[in-house]
Amino acid sequence: MSNTPKQITLQEWDQRYEQLQRAGMHQPDYGGPLGRHVEDGDYRLLKLRYDNSAAALRLWNFLLTEEQRLYQARTRGKKIVGTMKDLGTVPVMAYSLDNLVAFYPDGAWWIPCVMELSAGLLSIADSLGIDESFCPVRAMLGAFVTGAHFPIPDLLTCSVGATCDDFSAIAQRLNSLGYPILWWEIPHRRSPEHNEPAVKLPGGFSAPKCQVEFVKSQLELVKTALEELAGESLDEKKLSAGIQKANQVRAYLAELRQLAFTAKVCPLPALEMLVAEMLAIHFCSDRDETVIVLKELVGEVRSRVKAGKGVLAADAARIFWVNPVADLQVMNLLEDCGGRICGTEYLFSHALDTIPEDLPPTEALARIALADPMVGSSVDRAERICTDIRRFGSEAVLLSRIPGASHCALEGEVITEVVQANVDIPVLEIEVPPVTDSIRPTLRTRLEALVETVIERRKR
Amino acid sequence: MICAGIDAGSRAIKIVLMDTDSRQVIAKGLIDQGVEQDKLASELFEALLKHSDINKKDVAKIVATGYGRNAVSIADTTITEITCQAVGVRQLVPKAMTVIDIGGQDSKLVQLDRTGKVRDFAMNDRCAAGTGRFLEVVAERLGIKLESLGDIAAKSKRPAVISSMCVVFAETEIIGLLTSGTPREDIIAGVQAAIAERVVTMAGRNLELPIIFTGGVAMISGMDLALKCALQKSVTVSPAPQMTGALGAAILASSQLNRRRP
Repeated sequence: MSNTPKQITLQEWDQRYEQLQRAGMHQPDYGGPLGRHVEDGDYRLLKLRYDNSAAALRLWNFLLTEEQRLYQARTRGKKIVGTMKDLGTVPVMAYSLDNLVAFYPDGAWWIPCVMELSAGLLSIADSLGIDESFCPVRAMLGAFVTGAHFPIPDLLTCSVGATCDDFSAIAQRLNSLGYPILWWEIPHRRSPEHNEPAVKLPGGFSAPKCQVEFVKSQLELVKTALEELAGESLDEKKLSAGIQKANQVRAYLAELRQLAFTAKVCPLPALEMLVAEMLAIHFCSDRDETVIVLKELVGEVRSRVKAGKGVLAADAARIFWVNPVADLQVMNLLEDCGGRICGTEYLFSHALDTIPEDLPPTEALARIALADPMVGSSVDRAERICTDIRRFGSEAVLLSRIPGASHCALEGEVITEVVQANVDIPVLEIEVPPVTDSIRPTLRTRLEALVETVIERRKR
Repeated sequence: MICAGIDAGSRAIKIVLMDTDSRQVIAKGLIDQGVEQDKLASELFEALLKHSDINKKDVAKIVATGYGRNAVSIADTTITEITCQAVGVRQLVPKAMTVIDIGGQDSKLVQLDRTGKVRDFAMNDRCAAGTGRFLEVVAERLGIKLESLGDIAAKSKRPAVISSMCVVFAETEIIGLLTSGTPREDIIAGVQAAIAERVVTMAGRNLELPIIFTGGVAMISGMDLALKCALQKSVTVSPAPQMTGALGAAILASSQLNRRRP
């Protein structure tokens, strides 16, 4: 059996699964052949290409069994928290309590892609007055109405204020359908004024102390609600332990990103990197297992880098990807066109930063929440992107717009301007709907042209 | 040795045959696009070979470009129209720094560096309002030939204002303008201005001169003036604007064969 790293189809994975089984592959209880997930209606999986490692198989199986994991947790008597519009703060708090499991209902925005629109979630959102002028995360409304994709949480929290307007509207619509929501406010991060007490934030940002204090007060509200739900107090010791665990996940992701984005030959495909990075948000409903999954993946990538082996050509164009894509297949498409991912900013870069462990835990979480790229200006975000471009040696930026998303109408223009002024590399903006089949040729043209441009620039 | 460039565009297939050593164009041809684009490309290719008395075996490399490039089975490789247009235009206008290409179903802006390589690009392929399709719609609606649009628009004294950014809605506006007695030359000039504005929205106004206008829409008189007006900068129509993509593809085929830069 060859263990040469490569990308394979779902059908090929099923054959490889048999080989790995025969070779004695150890599998967790959620393991099994990838193809079985198609039976649940995840038709898009048939069109994707996957990394062929056992570590990648575990990653995919972990992702695709989250719904079962949530139901199992409920059966075991655990309480479920839906942490909406919160990319990596409240889950850290929730997982600090033994009796809670947190997940990210907004993740339903990928269901229309994965199920190729067959679940009808967007149509349900339409019927509720949340039409296509809103971000595809509106699919979450449909998921609540059908109750078919995740258990209805015992507690719903949602950050509002400087987050996305679309999401606020969608969450308010959800609220009006009879789902109570604990709103917590996050203000727009601003620079401290002259002589105003300032606080340094992860990611190289800073904010006025009063903003950090305000976010702390909001997180205290959330903490109280979590304690009531769990029937257990969330003291500093427990929260600090939770932060340390979250940092363990973040440390693995930091190593994974550094290895994958700087290796001479790309050691792990873009799609697996995306899935891995997403684990930072809410640990795919099992924090401890997330650590194991990432440890295995990092191990695989380390050995590939050491051996100089990879899944793509050594001369692949090094692309920095901004924003997550609604259609996962587009990540494969970039690789088909001769590109590889060398740097990402999926709107949750703060969830990849280390949470300060030398501060009172709520203060540390308030600081990390304020470092969210979405609550600051697009210029701040663009500057962080430039820093990472230099770090990872990216040769071009691909900005994938999310149709209807309104976190910043001019975000693309701002990022383009800042990137061109600071690092002078090409920036391409594309729009990626949940299913891109009909626009694939035009998307391909753009991506191929970007790769051609990068290759030509190397000859300068 | 001979190389060929095939530009399978949305409205037409264009082919250029080039002598690899001298970089001279030996033959060029064009045929309307259709459902069987692979067959059409092959037929045009064969016809050009026959007309030029060239044996197929003497064609060493074929590069296909354009939106239908992947359907051209006789091609050895494909290169995007962004790169091919840049090379083709630079061959004809060596000092070109900006290329605006408006075709039947998309529009592109390509910015070049001093050596002629693509520095950056933007592309509109999601909205027909900035493409030749808009002109086709107005021609159909007014019952006139596409190639006559420019001459008629030249008579306009006061271009109509087309406020819709969507061709479907703009068509309704055109019907309204016709009903209200707006002269057709003003409607066409208004549509040309609307296309130009759309392109400017994509391109921005800080474009480096010289700006060369290419693609099928560049052949419609008046469009260059509309672009000039919208950009407030000088715009020059490329020589042989419909063929620049195929020319670029042929040059790149030659370069690949000779392993030398265009």
